[in-house]
Amino acid sequence: MYQTIDILSVKQISIQQPLCEEWMETPLTYTGDFVRAIDPDFKQFISAGEARRLGKLLKRALATSLSALNEGGIQNPDAIVTGTGFGSIENTELFLDALVREGEQMLKPTQFMQSTHNTASSLIGINTKSHGYNSTYSQKGLSFDSALYDAWLQFRLGKIRNALVGAHDEMSPVFSGFVSKAGHVKNGEICSEAAVSALLEADSGKPAMCTLKSVQIMNMPTAQELADVMSKISVDAIITGRSGNPENDSWYSFLGSDVPQCSYKPLFGVNFSSSAIGFYTAACCLKAGRIPSVMNAGNGAVPCRSILLVNVVEGRHYSFTVLEAVCGK
Amino acid sequence: MEEMILKLKQEIIEVLNLEDVQPSDIDNDAPLFGEGLGLDSIDALELIVLMEKNYGIKLQDPAKGKEIFKSVNVMADYIQKNRTK
Amino acid sequence: MKAGQVLITGCGIVCAIGNDKGQVLESLLAGRTGVGPLKYLKTGHTEFPVGEVKMSDTEMERAMGIAPGTPTTRTALMGMMAMHEALGQACLEKDDLPHVGFVDGTTVGGMDKSEQYYLDFIDNDSRNAYIGTHDCGSCSEMIADRFGRFKFITTISTACSSAANAIELAADMIRLGEADVVVAGGSECITKFHLNGFNSLMILDHGQCRPFDAGRAGLNLGEGAAFVVLESAESAAKRGVKPVAMLSGYGNACDAFHQTASSPDGEGAYLAMMKALDNAGLKPSDIDYINAHGTGTPNNDLSESQAMKRVFGDVMPQVSSTKSLTGHTTSASGSIEAVICILALQNGFTPVNYAFEQADEGVIVPNMKLAPDRELKHVLCNSFGFGGNDSSLVISNVSNN
Repeated sequence: MYQTIDILSVKQISIQQPLCEEWMETPLTYTGDFVRAIDPDFKQFISAGEARRLGKLLKRALATSLSALNEGGIQNPDAIVTGTGFGSIENTELFLDALVREGEQMLKPTQFMQSTHNTASSLIGINTKSHGYNSTYSQKGLSFDSALYDAWLQFRLGKIRNALVGAHDEMSPVFSGFVSKAGHVKNGEICSEAAVSALLEADSGKPAMCTLKSVQIMNMPTAQELADVMSKISVDAIITGRSGNPENDSWYSFLGSDVPQCSYKPLFGVNFSSSAIGFYTAACCLKAGRIPSVMNAGNGAVPCRSILLVNVVEGRHYSFTVLEAVCGK
Repeated sequence: MEEMILKLKQEIIEVLNLEDVQPSDIDNDAPLFGEGLGLDSIDALELIVLMEKNYGIKLQDPAKGKEIFKSVNVMADYIQKNRTK
Repeated sequence: MKAGQVLITGCGIVCAIGNDKGQVLESLLAGRTGVGPLKYLKTGHTEFPVGEVKMSDTEMERAMGIAPGTPTTRTALMGMMAMHEALGQACLEKDDLPHVGFVDGTTVGGMDKSEQYYLDFIDNDSRNAYIGTHDCGSCSEMIADRFGRFKFITTISTACSSAANAIELAADMIRLGEADVVVAGGSECITKFHLNGFNSLMILDHGQCRPFDAGRAGLNLGEGAAFVVLESAESAAKRGVKPVAMLSGYGNACDAFHQTASSPDGEGAYLAMMKALDNAGLKPSDIDYINAHGTGTPNNDLSESQAMKRVFGDVMPQVSSTKSLTGHTTSASGSIEAVICILALQNGFTPVNYAFEQADEGVIVPNMKLAPDRELKHVLCNSFGFGGNDSSLVISNVSNN
């Protein structure tokens, strides 16, 4: 069916400098428990007429997508698959707030339209006139992993040659309070925002950042099942979702200590699209041939040609993504 | 009437989030939809909300909006005749 | 049974026309609509008829053995009812679930509780447990965890095609050997949030909805849940379970036209149907019945009619929109209508399109005849979502195989 699935480009808007890799050398650091993303100038991607009805999440989804497509030299991807935990929560909250406080009259359709989670995938479809496979996942911090898994299946079935895969989550001040109450974000973690779009193509023949080998998702695996998964994977380094919050970090103890482990959450914060940031950092690291010191708690860079990305959500959903450097590089 | 038209234009700009548009950019007789401002069906729904919120005019039929939102002049005229607040 | 086939070995349903398959079948055969005045949802918009599930949250909690006071949502409870019936028919027990995947579809998630407790979330800590039930994923977890430890859980949220896309992912997993058995479908309760949202878009009919009728004036919101158990032929044979139907093909396409409106030529719908037929290896003339998306909005029914005409030409199979009976069950509609199609295949009848009176220009004329009449081999089930997320399933009879 194909030899390799090449990751042509991955673009992010987050609490680090947008649409670039400055964080690998000179990351921004934060104190405080809620930090919003740094937005680029959207005018280069979206006209004023188009932007007026788009909330932050949608602008970011479009900007990262168009940027990734442009870099990878593809205009209409065969598949558009994204994930989001909360969707366009700002507009959802505006609509909900008006509904609760002002009653069931004179509510704004524009806010409601954005409350469905598939607005990002469909907006990208509309904008790029892509009539192919289009889907959206919403499974908390597993949303991106689910979208990537779906795209991977479509590749394996031979239904697609390329795919735009992403995850997008924004956070409002009110809902950020809710998520810490609900325990989605805990003490010591920065509640943040992220938008990530990745362009994948089978046997592209183009310069790629790295290649995707496999994606596996499990719910409540037993210790034996986890050991079985790990026994089949051989990589130079593991990128985990450790955040500094002891409960979260304990979920990764099954990984042992044989392989060097690094994390992205101290730099990028925590949100439902965090694992997409993990994917982005892994691609950047494989392109560079090393995990930068800033992801290794300042203990020096880790050379690597293969990375296992492990994401554990609420101690029950586990995902394993294996990425490798481009052959011969 | 002039004052009311200016106020209406400001309200349209605000509710439809027309960032780069000034009230003076909107011709009183130019069509709001299609050509002219280039508004669409969702904008029409937002204008229906505006009419109810700011002027107490309740439109049940979205098709009726098409006639009323022909231009700022037509809209202002309709508001003048039908407003309840 | 051939390798690579995706069998359906069980299904469960709860919606406005019945709390299980038996009741739904009875209503379908009688052509009885479940759309009526509001009873369970607390809203000021009593002018809109809706297709509510005829059980309170408390009644569903009791039926599912959920302890009073356990934080749960109506969407999750309806999902549990449908899951219970589906697992039962497929003879899947708790010990089997670590080998079974679960792909759910929802959009509203726990919004019923969020809209009720929003001010509490802000002002005090009395309802914090319901913040955790707000998002779509938590809803799927609640449904799954009621029954045991599934090997895989994810949630698709493509608005009104969520459940259809969930079934598609599950089928792909089976075809690739990623799992032997996957339960898929969707669940969605009516909330004030989306009742008001649809009202703000002015697409709700103030009376009984009339899909494909010249006087159609919008949709009626419905609610419910349905799940199908998809299984490889090898696994079904090994477990000794009989299939109730087969998922022979499916397609997903994007209309790429507008966030809330369908294109005039129904491009996305056309592509989804063509992909589904191609995937099933069938010709348009092989299709005996189409369960249309048919919401009853002027825009959808015209656009979908155009798309069906492009696929089927002059030889249009019988078509009906069972949303005239169930209301538009939004994210759950794909699986609710898939189960209705399975019932039609098993019992040999074409579901009726209730409330149709007058044909409209450019719009197909749906089936209005009640009596069980004929054997169906292959049926097509359409689900289209906001943003042009269009999906089609081909479900086939297995009684002759």
